[in-house]
Amino acid sequence: MGRPPGRADRSAQEAGGGFWGRMQGIPRYYIHLLLAGVVVWQLLAPISMPIAPSAATQGVYDAIAAVPDDKLIVISADWDASTQAETGPQTQAIVQACLREGKRFALMSLGAPMGIRLAHEIAQEAAREHGAEYGVDWCNWGYKYGYGNVLMALAKDIPRAVGSDFYGTPVAELPMMEGVTDIRGIGLVIEVTGLAAITEIWLGLIQGPYGTPLASAYTAVMAPGYYPYLDSGQMQGMLVGAKGAAEMEALVERPGKAVAVMNVQSWAHVLIIALIVIGNAGYVLAGRRRR
Amino acid sequence: MNPDAYVLWAAAIATLGVYTILYRENPISRLFEHIFVGLSAGYLLVITWTLNLEAKWWQPMVAERRWWWVFAPVAGGLFYFIFSRRLSWLARLVMGLFFGAGAGTFFRQFFPIYAPQFYACFKPLRPDAELPWSQVLLHHWMFVIILLTVLSYFFFSVSHEGRAGRALGRASLLGRWFMMIAFGAMFGNTVMARVSLFIGRMRFLLTDWLGSFIPWFAGRGL
Amino acid sequence: MLRLFQPATHQGVLVAALAGALVLSIALLYCLHRFLGPRQRRRLIAAVTFVAGLFYGLEYFYPAREGRNFLTPWIEPVSTMLAVIGAFTVGLGIYSLCQVHGRNVAQRRSGWHNSAAFFGAMAAMLVFGLWDYYLRLPEPQPQVLPWPKAVYAILFGGLYAPLQAATFSLLAFYIASAAYRAFRIRSAEAALMMAAAFVVMLGQVPVGAWLTGFIPLDSAWAFFRLEVLGDWIMRWLNMPAQRGIVFGIAVGALAMSLRIWLSLERGTFFSEGT
Repeated sequence: MGRPPGRADRSAQEAGGGFWGRMQGIPRYYIHLLLAGVVVWQLLAPISMPIAPSAATQGVYDAIAAVPDDKLIVISADWDASTQAETGPQTQAIVQACLREGKRFALMSLGAPMGIRLAHEIAQEAAREHGAEYGVDWCNWGYKYGYGNVLMALAKDIPRAVGSDFYGTPVAELPMMEGVTDIRGIGLVIEVTGLAAITEIWLGLIQGPYGTPLASAYTAVMAPGYYPYLDSGQMQGMLVGAKGAAEMEALVERPGKAVAVMNVQSWAHVLIIALIVIGNAGYVLAGRRRR
Repeated sequence: MNPDAYVLWAAAIATLGVYTILYRENPISRLFEHIFVGLSAGYLLVITWTLNLEAKWWQPMVAERRWWWVFAPVAGGLFYFIFSRRLSWLARLVMGLFFGAGAGTFFRQFFPIYAPQFYACFKPLRPDAELPWSQVLLHHWMFVIILLTVLSYFFFSVSHEGRAGRALGRASLLGRWFMMIAFGAMFGNTVMARVSLFIGRMRFLLTDWLGSFIPWFAGRGL
Repeated sequence: MLRLFQPATHQGVLVAALAGALVLSIALLYCLHRFLGPRQRRRLIAAVTFVAGLFYGLEYFYPAREGRNFLTPWIEPVSTMLAVIGAFTVGLGIYSLCQVHGRNVAQRRSGWHNSAAFFGAMAAMLVFGLWDYYLRLPEPQPQVLPWPKAVYAILFGGLYAPLQAATFSLLAFYIASAAYRAFRIRSAEAALMMAAAFVVMLGQVPVGAWLTGFIPLDSAWAFFRLEVLGDWIMRWLNMPAQRGIVFGIAVGALAMSLRIWLSLERGTFFSEGT
């Protein structure tokens, strides 16, 4: 017994026969093949185009450069493998910017235990390139369960709230944590996330009450909802999806995965637009034929 | 044992196994879905113990002999009474604790998050030395008109009859149009996000996996 | 009273204290259940909810000297206690999953082998995850690992992360097929939405900048470059609409938080069984 007709099948039925009518009802896997074909084509034979940084991305870079040398940058890697294609290159570009500017940074995660492990591998590789030493130039506070509870505790007493780092070492024993006891030791928080509502926790418990600068990197899905915070000055800058990561890679002069993704993204977007136009044109033409 | 090659091949097989669903539902994709859920459940248990309970509860209670930490599993165990009709009120007791804490946390966050949003609504509506007419019109006036019309859309309890009501009705219609533009922008970004995820996976399959045994794929501009 | 809350002097005292506290807790819960009527139970829940919210709210609003008041030293321990209590809820979801899949296996329902695979994967991740955690190696880790760590690396990096990434990447295909088969522009509003989407989609990618690259950046027509137009839509059309929505959400969330804090909320969850 077949499944009941879905919405697309009813469109095909409504469209009637003829070429356009039949085109309305083509099986889904042809469209899947088309998308896969465009992506594979561009991955194997990319047509490179220049990428110019936007003001929002420049804001993130400028915020990193403006951090005083005696303060830390906290990079909150609240993402996991489901958004790795966007947030991974974003994290990589941000870490590269921190190392390029000679700023000490600490990784942590409030919402994604998997992400902190993936971010750790990214930071390790970048640190090797720049000759940065763990515990001196960068560290990983690890995943801290508790969301707002962690941040409220962290603002008052970082060593106690964080406890031990990714390797199990008490953070107070790390050389770079000397003198960093509370929120005053943090010069910038960069939130890299694909999860909703984590930014509001940082805004409400850290940026708002203590004035700690905040910058963000989001998946492209989430970014539209956070433009109000960019406009109000609560955020210094924002990376938007793979595009933001590519722009940041251009700023740190280390083109990587994000630039490669954007080359492919162009033609995938053209395909999606073409599919919408052809689908609607076919619907109209098939409807006329039926009449 | 060097797991790198096994990791690479396992990742490729798992990815291709999931992608078989793109043709149609099949036993292979269903198997991988169940494996994924099982791994997620196991991982959740591991990180709950290793990254939370062991350091924050077990060590203080056993190693530091702070005996009062025994109340934590008692309180946490109350959640499980949700499965009992007679005793479910005990679960509501501990949930009330968390709901109250959540509400209190929200009160703390409300002004720091939303007060700057309110202040940022007041934008200059006249040009000056630094602000040309084009920017004032295209940016600030657009902002005010869109904000007010969008807010007017959400006044559902005010009737759209009478002179004032009809004005509100027209404003809310305009607000709906502006919201459609915002939703279109969100859709455009959604397409970018979703396609990026697939591009990331294909890059892995072509460069990392195929490139590991077919050199031609290894350095394709990535 | 506070002197009671001192660390035990040795293991024997610790065991006695743990046992005593456990017995006391169970006795207290039994008495509460036995002797409190429905109305008193509701009042107790309301009181606990109120005090929990009052603590966090009061600590923020109470006048502080050098950023601290009399409640500030309690923020960290209370927050940690709540985080630990919350961690014990992990069993709720696991119990549901095990119940569903266990029934499939026990009754040999269609596809029971998938449920068996679920249990196998969960057990493997649990065993090797804990084994990996307790088998500490000095950094940097060697390429050749002890076999339990290698198995965990395969489970995490070879199965868990790629499966998650692949599952979410399926959305790209669904959006592509929906774009062709389901998105129909049947009204002016839908046309406006799609036009904005097209501009943003092209403005976000290099090909959009290339298409309108013939317009000089410093000319009066630069506004019509796709990347400039796309950015303007995001910052000055999308942003005020999102802010309007944010205000709506903020007011709604504040009202809801107040209702929950004061236990004014009614409904299935809030009043059933008490």
